[in-house]
Parts: sequence; structure tokens; C-alpha cells
Amino acid sequence: MSLLRVDSVDKSYGNEPVLHDVSFGMDRQQVEVIVGPSGSGKSTLLRCVNRLTEIDSGEIYLDDEEIHTVDENELRRRVGMVFQDFNLFAHLTARGNITLGLREVLGLSKPEAEAKADDYLDRVGLADQAESYPAELSGGQQQRVGIARALAMDPELILFDEPTSALDPELIGEVLTVMEDLAEGGMTMLCVTHEMGFARSAADTITFLDEGRIVERGPPEQLFESPEHERTETFLGELTGLHQ
Amino acid sequence: MEPGVLQASDWGFILANWDTLVLGVVVTVLLTATSLTLGFGLGFPSGAIEVYGDGWLANAVSTAGIVLRGTPIVVLIVLFYFTLPLPRIGTVPVIDIQLNAFIAATLALGLRSAAYQGQVFRGSIQSIGEGQLEAARSVGMTKLQAIRHVVFPQAVRRSLPGFQNEFTIVLKDTSVAFAIGLAELLTRAERLYLQPGRDTAVIEVIITISVIYFVLTFTTNRALDYVHSRYAIPGGTQ
Repeated sequence: MSLLRVDSVDKSYGNEPVLHDVSFGMDRQQVEVIVGPSGSGKSTLLRCVNRLTEIDSGEIYLDDEEIHTVDENELRRRVGMVFQDFNLFAHLTARGNITLGLREVLGLSKPEAEAKADDYLDRVGLADQAESYPAELSGGQQQRVGIARALAMDPELILFDEPTSALDPELIGEVLTVMEDLAEGGMTMLCVTHEMGFARSAADTITFLDEGRIVERGPPEQLFESPEHERTETFLGELTGLHQ
Repeated sequence: MEPGVLQASDWGFILANWDTLVLGVVVTVLLTATSLTLGFGLGFPSGAIEVYGDGWLANAVSTAGIVLRGTPIVVLIVLFYFTLPLPRIGTVPVIDIQLNAFIAATLALGLRSAAYQGQVFRGSIQSIGEGQLEAARSVGMTKLQAIRHVVFPQAVRRSLPGFQNEFTIVLKDTSVAFAIGLAELLTRAERLYLQPGRDTAVIEVIITISVIYFVLTFTTNRALDYVHSRYAIPGGTQ
């Protein structure tokens, strides 16, 4: 049984088609990486899964429930999201960024929320930065707080929207390490990323999206070694060249 | 003696009438407080409505703001004083002012201030990145929760410098209540030098109340500077 099933999804912004007849499914504990040129609809696809963006037609099922029949806040509690620009709450400490959702959405008491927040900060290697504000943290540290914030809600699935694209090269590694640990720990992850090293090592499946359509989908070996489409080969070749 | 020449007897006259000026300060400070409170009470929600509201309410708020910002404050005060059906309830003891004049002045200064405070707050809300709102929604918070816990706390901090300006403007503009004879600082000062044979004291009186206005704005601004730095977000630009 798939945890996530995307079925014939279409989406356009005005007259501009962004997603066209996109269908795929992923099981629990799977890591799926979506790659594609900019403007191919990758981020839009992620945002449709937690309904930050609404689809025009098609269906999306989480755990066999069509997501538009579920309360959107309940859906988002079950589907975490990590953003390219971190989007940490600037007026709250690292700990406060995590406790806000725990308290407001899950209704935990302050001590419970803080204990849980500290636990997750420890998991991403930031136990000593609980009191720091976002502006006092490096980009890599901010993104790890962003991941801890998503994780602490105990989501069934986490969406990663180019989590390392806004980072200086020397800070990418610490974020990828956290993501690899999550993947090994059995977290279900749907990731848009250009990090081919991560895709190769952690992904169960890679989807190549171009102009809003799925061009090719399969395990990393297949897409990297023997892609069916020339476009896939060209694109992955360029990315791998860029990110050695 | 020519009026306008500073002379010791005029300073002595001011000292002898210090209680009049103190009452004027009390009225000025009261009027500033009531006007700013009304301005905040209406301006804060109207800024939020302009950003998040839609339909007739947002339009109404926006139009009211344009009209209020486009009308001279003296016109507003005189208009409210003479056209609003405020009962002549009588005078307030001790500070000796007409209550209906005080209410008219509060409404004029307060509504005008609301129109400006609303813009300050609207700008601050809009300066908070959309991404933070999305992040809050992405952990399952409702839009209202996200606005309340993520947007507002930051927007209020960013509004402080604008509110500080607004405070200074309202405090000084209470002197416009002079036009309807409300006994605030300027009106009471005028009454002093209009006394028979006291026209020589005009400059001394005006210098004195200028210093008083300055001390009031300066100290309050310093206090607000402190509040601003006290609640600043560590490491942030605000």
C-alpha cells in the first residue's frame, strides 16, 4: 500500500501549465528524489502534496485518503516541509521554532514541548544552540533547525524543497548528513534536490521531471547508468558534472 | 518696554504661574494618551485588515485612511467640535476643560493617528516574509495562529520606530486643540500672555512651552528607544 499516491495531477498558473498528468506513488520508508531543470514544476509538485498550492485536477492520496477530503491543517501536521530558504521564525530561538507547532498544533505543555524540541535539536547536532536565534546561526545550522522543526511534529512524510540550494558549498555537507541519517532511520522523504551524490546514495527512486511531465522514473542505477531518454542522460550528466 | 525683549520680570511672571502650565501639560499628556490609544486601537486592526482582509471592509478601511490622511488636522478638529452631536456635558474639575472639546480633539487626533498607524503596521506586516507564514502553516497551524504567533510579534517590533514618530507628531499636534479653545498647554500659555499688560511675556512663554514640548518628546522617545532595543531580536537587523 502506497503512503503517497499522486494520480493524474494537473496544475497551471493562469495560462501557464506547470504540471501535466503527473502520477507516481511511494511507499513508507522510501526516499524519492525529484530532479529536473528550473521551472519544471518540481517545487509546485511538492507544494501540491501539502496543499500550499492547490491542484487543478487529479487526486493525491496520503495513506489512501484523498488529501482534499482531509482538513488542511491536519494534512500539514502529517506532512512536514523543509524549505530552500529555511523560513525559520526570526523572533524565536531554535528551540522556540520547534516548540511553537508542538504547543499550538499538538497541544503539548511547555515542558513537554521543550524536552521534545531539545531532543530533536540534539538529533540534528544542535543541542548547544537551543537558545540561539536564527540570525545568530549559519545557514547550515538554520536548515538543520528547519529539519528538526518538521521532524518534531512526527510527520508520516517530509517534503524537502531544495534544502541545500541556498547554502554555501561548505555548509551543504552537514545538512545532507542529517538527511542521510533520516533516510537510514526509515523516514519517508520526498526531496527536490540537485545533490546527485545524495540522490545516488540515499534515493530509492529518482523522478526526472521536465516541463511539468514525468520523463522518466526509476532506481538511481537505472537513471544514472542506463537512462531510457536522452534528455535524462543529458540533464543528469550536466548535474553530476557540476556537483562532483 | 518692547515686547520680545527677554526680561526678568516676565520669567518671574511665568514662574508665578507655573501651576497654569502644569495643568496645561496634564491636559496635553492626557490628550496625547487618549488619542494614541484610540489611534492604536483602530490603526492596528485596520493595518491587518488592509493586508489580510478582502471585500468591502478592506476597501472601507483603505478609503477612510485616505480621507483622514488627506485632511488637515485643524480642519478635522474644528469639524468634529462643531458638527458632532457631543452633549455639552460640562467641565472636568481640577484640569478645568470642556469635556466635549476634549472628546472632539481625541476623535480628530485619534482617527488621524489611526490612519497613519495603520499604514505603519501594514508596511511592517508586509515586510515579514511570506515564507515564515508558509512554514507556520506547514506544521499545521491555522492562518490565524500563524498570523498571531509568527507575523504579529515581528510586525509589532518593526512598527516601533514608526509608532515613535507617530507619538511625537500626536503630542505636538495636540496644540491644534487651541483652535477649539481646549485648555491644553498652548491654550493656557496664550491665556497667560493675553492678560492685561503681559504682552511683553509672549516670547518667554513660547520659549518655555517649547522647552516643555521638547522635554516631553525627547524623554518619551528615549524610553521608546529603550523598549525597541530591549525587545530587539538578537542577531537581527531589527
